[in-house]
This record gives sequence, structure tokens and C-alpha cells, in this order.
Amino acid sequence: MSRYGAFQIGGGGVAAVLLLFPIILPEIKIHLAIEILIFALLAVSFNLLLGYGGMLAFGHAAPFGVGAYAAALSCNHLPGMPLLVTLLIAALSGFVGALFIGFFCVRLKGAYFALITLAFQMFLFAAALKWRSVTRGDDGMGVVRPELYLPGLGSISLMNIHNLYYLTLVLVVVGIVACYLFLRTPLGNAVMCMRENDVRASFLGYDVFLTKLTVFSFAGLLAGLAGGLFVLFQEFVATTAIDVNRSFAALLMTVIGGTGHFLGPVLGAIFYTVFQDWISSLTKHWILFMGILFVIVVMYLEGGLISLLKWERIRVWVSGQKE
Amino acid sequence: MFINFVLSAFGAMEEENVCSIYANQVDLGVEKDDVGVRGDRGRRFWMDISINIYLIQLVHGLVYGMLIFLVASGLTLVFGMMGVLNIAHAAFYMLGAYFAYTVAVYLGNFWLSFLLSPLIVAFLAILIERFLLRKTYKAGHLPELLLTFGFFYIFVELVIIIWGSNPLPVPVPALLAGDVPFMGKTYPIYRLFILGFSCVILLGMALVLMRTQIGIIIRAAVSDADMVDVLGHNVPVVFLGVFGGGAALAALAGVIAAPFLSTYPGMGMDMLLDCFVVIVIGGLGSLWGALVAALMIGALQSLGILWIPQLALVFQFLLMAVVLIARPTGLFGEKE
Amino acid sequence: MVILKLDDLFKDFSGLEVLFGVSLEIIEGECHAIIGPNGAGKSTLFNIITGIYKPTRGRIFFLDKDITSWPAHKIARMGLSRSFQIINNFPRMTVFENVRNAIVSRFQRRFDWTSFLNRSKEITRESDHMVNLLGLTEVRNIPASELSYGMQRKLELALTLARDPVLILLDEPTAGLNAEETRIFVELIKQVTEGKTLVMVEHDMEVVFNLADRITVLNYGEVLATGTPNEIRENEGVKKAYLGRR
Repeated sequence: MSRYGAFQIGGGGVAAVLLLFPIILPEIKIHLAIEILIFALLAVSFNLLLGYGGMLAFGHAAPFGVGAYAAALSCNHLPGMPLLVTLLIAALSGFVGALFIGFFCVRLKGAYFALITLAFQMFLFAAALKWRSVTRGDDGMGVVRPELYLPGLGSISLMNIHNLYYLTLVLVVVGIVACYLFLRTPLGNAVMCMRENDVRASFLGYDVFLTKLTVFSFAGLLAGLAGGLFVLFQEFVATTAIDVNRSFAALLMTVIGGTGHFLGPVLGAIFYTVFQDWISSLTKHWILFMGILFVIVVMYLEGGLISLLKWERIRVWVSGQKE
Repeated sequence: MFINFVLSAFGAMEEENVCSIYANQVDLGVEKDDVGVRGDRGRRFWMDISINIYLIQLVHGLVYGMLIFLVASGLTLVFGMMGVLNIAHAAFYMLGAYFAYTVAVYLGNFWLSFLLSPLIVAFLAILIERFLLRKTYKAGHLPELLLTFGFFYIFVELVIIIWGSNPLPVPVPALLAGDVPFMGKTYPIYRLFILGFSCVILLGMALVLMRTQIGIIIRAAVSDADMVDVLGHNVPVVFLGVFGGGAALAALAGVIAAPFLSTYPGMGMDMLLDCFVVIVIGGLGSLWGALVAALMIGALQSLGILWIPQLALVFQFLLMAVVLIARPTGLFGEKE
Repeated sequence: MVILKLDDLFKDFSGLEVLFGVSLEIIEGECHAIIGPNGAGKSTLFNIITGIYKPTRGRIFFLDKDITSWPAHKIARMGLSRSFQIINNFPRMTVFENVRNAIVSRFQRRFDWTSFLNRSKEITRESDHMVNLLGLTEVRNIPASELSYGMQRKLELALTLARDPVLILLDEPTAGLNAEETRIFVELIKQVTEGKTLVMVEHDMEVVFNLADRITVLNYGEVLATGTPNEIRENEGVKKAYLGRR
């Protein structure tokens, strides 16, 4: 069987499993699956910056949280707003937030960049915490899941967790595929040039600032969407959506999963969420294990967990495509 | 973080319920009027605040600034020498404070922690550098950064596991307890001690770096590590020394800070961000820059709290953003 | 026609003065070498021309436009391309992908997000053409970091030329190559820069006298002399400056 053929069948199998989840899994596991999907999107957006752009951002919870709050505010204060528009608002808020933050941060590199994004995220966290009139601080805001209206299918209640699962599945897959396609365009290639040698790229005529700002904003768009879906899922938003733990979770997931492969972050999100779900019933110090695993991966397993699965590592990851 | 000691200075929240806004815990309620900052309820106009209060606030700022400097100095030297921003450095500070707590509370002697904390932390730091961090130098800055971050993360979690997530107050040693009349109000002796002690350490550092052989080597290595290597000095050992020494200093700062900031798991992160702002503004590898910037940030924060508490954070971000745009290498930094 | 004009350039780095009133004109189609002892300011000059540093005083005119304060990428887009003394490529990308980065830029498609890169026949064709032109065909799919030094030097040249630039700046292109490799490389340079305007910093005098139409000698940040290779050979001042040197 050719590799391409194997890939087709494997892909088909995964798709079938994903579509059948609500039927084969007990309800509590569907909640977990939705959470995994949302974090997969967040991690993929994070890896767009780290693995493909060479930009380590410690404050990636910022667009996620901004998207989350935007979605919550839209649901609560703009009743009648179609759900898909609300999610669009969430994504766009993430985009705009990232655009603004990126404007200041993107000229910097390395530790500077990492920490200044963290500083901005902290600032937004403090704002969310203190601006109680709008965000209710750390009490958070409850959100009622609006109904999804699709022409032809009518109103679909998202209180049915199966429906929510499918919605999340579709949107997350759309987001991830968009990211994948983006990386195969010349602009996506430009982003990878930034990672390899941004100085040389500028001597070839690439506008480093604009390129980095663009990818930063696009990652913010995806993170914002993830934030909106998160609010929908949790029916609640609080400062935990924009705090430092959220930022670090994205980082841990992505690095542990593997920054070198497009699907690495997805694996990381699966691992992180499942591990947390499993271990936290045994001990509440699962975070420590995560941290230790993170250190082990950084020191001894650069390719992340996904590199344990791949049977060939030749530069496939550089172009994010199989050839 | 910073807001804490401002409030505690006015007796409003004497070392209890003192949490970091960053640590996702209780909102300090600085926006409430009852803090007493402005004297009368509701009177906010800045002119109404007497000059005394400004001066006291300024001293607060300098005290905290010196603390930041103690931590940031090690960080900036290490960064300047090897290009490694050791995020775990802030964790050394935190560990110093927590060890101080344990020693003070369980062994009854605060002064012992002055000796023990820095030693333990320095030892830990040296182990980390020698056996773990060193492996990543060849791999580039990104793995280094991720690794030091990983350690920071692990340390914070360990602290939560061992000591819990609630703030743990550390009693001020009897020798330094009490107040002293100052500008019409009273001022805690302990804070003056912090100021004085930090100055002593600063002098000590200056002496070592300017006058001793090893100090000169260190300064040279910060400027140009390769050159120092070529001249025959053992750069890895020098670096190890600076790394460990910086860690010890950070731990010492933690020890000193413990009685008046109390210990809480978010203190590492708070200090990390403050240090980072200081290094950005002061410039990489520059101790003078770190000193000036630290004092500036301290003063800015404490005076900022007086005027517009909610925006106290904004000032330092604004300043950092301005510096980054106008002079990315910092006020005293060298061109990369 | 004057392609590049340097007008009275001064540069000091916080007190360390490196260039003193350097003026120079590069004429279309010529190969102009800049030589001088170490520390003469040659690399600084290049860095200023290509936009890394701003001169303390003086102006730079490229194709009659004042580019003194332009950022590096803008200068590059105008058709000024430079190579680097220290290997400076995209390490984990293949030779083909490296060159392709430059080609994409040439076709102004750096921000193209609506098409797939590997579907673009034009870009692929041009990239392959460049790869073959520089004799890199066998290593087309090898990551740049795994190439031999000589190959990397060729790649460096390829990156510089791929944009089809108006003016080519080569910073010690034969640095680190042995005599045989240098000879071959010089032939290659001659071949691929046929008819183009070239400015070159070099230490190897044989290379210089082989390739250059005109030579400028830089010493302690000042222009000592400019002229044809023969004129320079006869120049007293130059001989003094190079006392004992090759």
C-alpha cells in the first residue's frame, strides 16, 4: 500500500471516529472531546507563532481571553445576535487585540518578545479583574448558549451537547485547515523565513515587521475563535480565560505535543486535556507532572511527543506538507 | 505586589490578605476609597495630598526599587554574559522568601535565613546550570528560554505543593520591629533597614566589580565573553559563579522581602515582570541601568498609586513601551 | 550612468569613528572592488549602504534616489542585493527553498495569501533555473545547514543574484575558500555577473585584480585612492599603506 493510500485511509478513519464520537462515547467524555477540540485550535494558533514563525509568546491567552469576553458580552448584551456572528465577533476581537499588541511587540525577539507579550496579557488580565462593571471581575459572567440558526435546518439548540460537539468540531476543523492552507501560501512561506533567518529575509526584500505582525494577528484570530467557542462550551467566562495559567497551558501543550509538526499541538492538546482529566482525580498536583514532562521534552525530545509517532522526519515539517 | 506594601504602609492591610493581582486571587479593592490614601473619603485631588505623603511614598518606592534591583542585577548580568534570560531567577527570589518563612517560623530565627536561604538557593542554581541548563546552550536561545521557563513553572508548583497557595506572613524580626517618626507620620524601621541593607549590598557589589580581579573579569565577560575566553579565563566557571551569585542575591532579596510582602506563590511572577521592565528600560547587562530603572519603576509605581490607583500598572507599561520604541537597547544598554 | 553614489559619508559608533568623508561613485556595468587593511571600514560601509546602519553624516544615492534613511528591505526591493561574509542563509530549508524565498520576493508575492506556493510554476521554474545556474543542482533538496562550506558560499551567491538585482554587493565572497575553490568560484562569479554592476569587498588580491574594473582603497575609514587596477598598483600612497602586506 502506498504511503499516500495509507494516509487516505488513516485520514478517513480519523474523520469517521470524530464524527461518530457523540454516538459511541458517554456524555461526560463528549465534554472532554469538546474541550480538546477548543484547546487544539488554541495550540495550533500558538504553534503558528512558535513552530512556524519562530516567535515564542508567553502571553497567548490575551487574544483567547479577548475573544472569550467579546463572545460573552455579545451573547449577554446583544440578544438576538446570531450565534455565528457572535463567534465571528470573538475571532475578530482576537484579531484586533493581537494586531494592537503585536504592533508594539513584534519588533522584538526572543526573551524580549516572549515577556512583553506576557506583560500585555497581564495588563489585560488586570483590566478584566478590575473592570467589574463590564467583566464582573473574577466572579465572572454566566452566558446562556444561544440557539444556532441554520437556514434550511432551522433553530438548533446547543443545550444538546451533541449539537455543540458538531458545531465545535466543524469550526475547529475549519480553523485548523485554514491555518494549514495559510502555511502553504507564499505568505506562509514568508512566515517560515522569519523563523529561519529574519535578517536575511529583510535583505531579500521581506518586510519583517509586517510579516510578523500579520502572522501574530492571524494567530490571534484563531485564538479568539477558540475563546468564543470556550465561552459557548463553559457557559461562563471569568478571568481564568485570560490569566497566566491559560498562556502557559497553551505553551505546555504545544511544546509537549511537538512544535515541529503541524499536528503536534493537536496531539499536545489531546494529551494535556486527557492527562489533566485522568490525573486530577488522583492528585491535584498534576501541573507539576506537566511541568516536569515539559522540561524533559525540551531537554531530550525536541520534536515533542509527535516525533515518537512519526516514522520519517526528513524536513517534512519545514514546509508543513507531505511530499 | 507593589500595591500591597503601599496599603500596608498606611496600616490599611497589615500583612494580611495581601495577594498579588497576578496570582488570580482576591482583588485588592484599590479602587475603593477607604484605603486612606487620600486622607478624607472622597477627596481625590492630588494637590490635597500633603508633601509628606509624597515623600513617604517616594521612600516606599525606593525601598521596593532596591529590592527589584537586587533581583534584577543577577538577571541582567547573566543575560549580558550569555544571552540567557533566566526566567527561573525570579523563582530563586521566591524560594528565598519561602525558605525564610520556614526558617523563621520553624526555627524561630529570622537571621539564620539570611545565611541559609541564599546558600541553599545558590546551590540549587549551580546544580541547575551545571547539569541541565548547560546542555541547551548549543541548541540556541529558544530551548534555553523554554527550559528556564520550565524550571520557573516547576518551582512555583513545588512551592504550592509544599507551602500551599495562601500567603504566609513572616514576622518582622524583633530587632527591627516598630516605627520611627518620619515627616510627621511614623515609618516602619524594617523598611528603612531594607533600604539600608540593600545599599550596603550595592556598595559591596560595586566594590567587587570595580576593584577586584574577579570583578573585572566578570565585567569583561559581560561585554565580550569570547574575548575573555581567548584571554585564558575559564568562562564557564565565571558564568557559573555569576549565575550562582546572582541566585544567592535574589534569594537574599526574597528573605528581606518576606516580612513585608509576605510570601505568596505569585510573588515570583510579579517580580519577574518588574525585573523584566527594569532590564528593558535599564539595558541589557548594565548594572547602572538596572539600578536607575529599578528606582524609577519603584518611585513611579508608588507615586502612581497615589494619583490613579487603577492605572498604577499602566505607567510602567507605558514607560516600557516608550523605551522600547525610542531606544530599544535600554537607557544604558549597548548596541547588540 | 551612476548607479550608486556615496556622498561624504561619516560614521561614528558612540565615539568610535569609523568612516571619514567617504565619497564614491559606482558606474553601471562595472565591477568595483573595495580593498583595504582590516579595520579600514569596508564592512561598515556595506552595512551603511544596505541600510543596517545610518551614517552620522552624508548621503547615499541609489539610482538617483536618496536611500540614506531607508530600511533594509526597502533598499533590497529597489534592486540592491548583498551577500554576506559569514554564511547567512535559511538553515533548515533546502537549497531550492532558500532560492525560492528570493524568487518569491522578486515577483513581489511575499504577501500573497491566495495561492499555493508549490503550485506556482513560474516561481518553481525560476528557482530551478537559479539553482542550476550556480551549479547547485545535485544539492537541490538538501537543507542548507548540511551543505559543505563551498556549496554554502555558492548558495549565498545564489540568494544574492536570485532577485535579479540592479546592483550586487559581495562581501568577501571567497572568504574561507582554498586556492582551488577560489579560482573556480571566481570563474562562476564572472559568469553569472556578466553585464551586471558589482561592488566587491575582498582581501584576496588575485581575485581583485582578476575581476575588478576599478578599485577603491580604503584605509582607516578614508578613501585613499580610486582607479583602475594599474593605477592603484602604481599609487604611492597605496603602497605605503600596504607596506609589508600582500
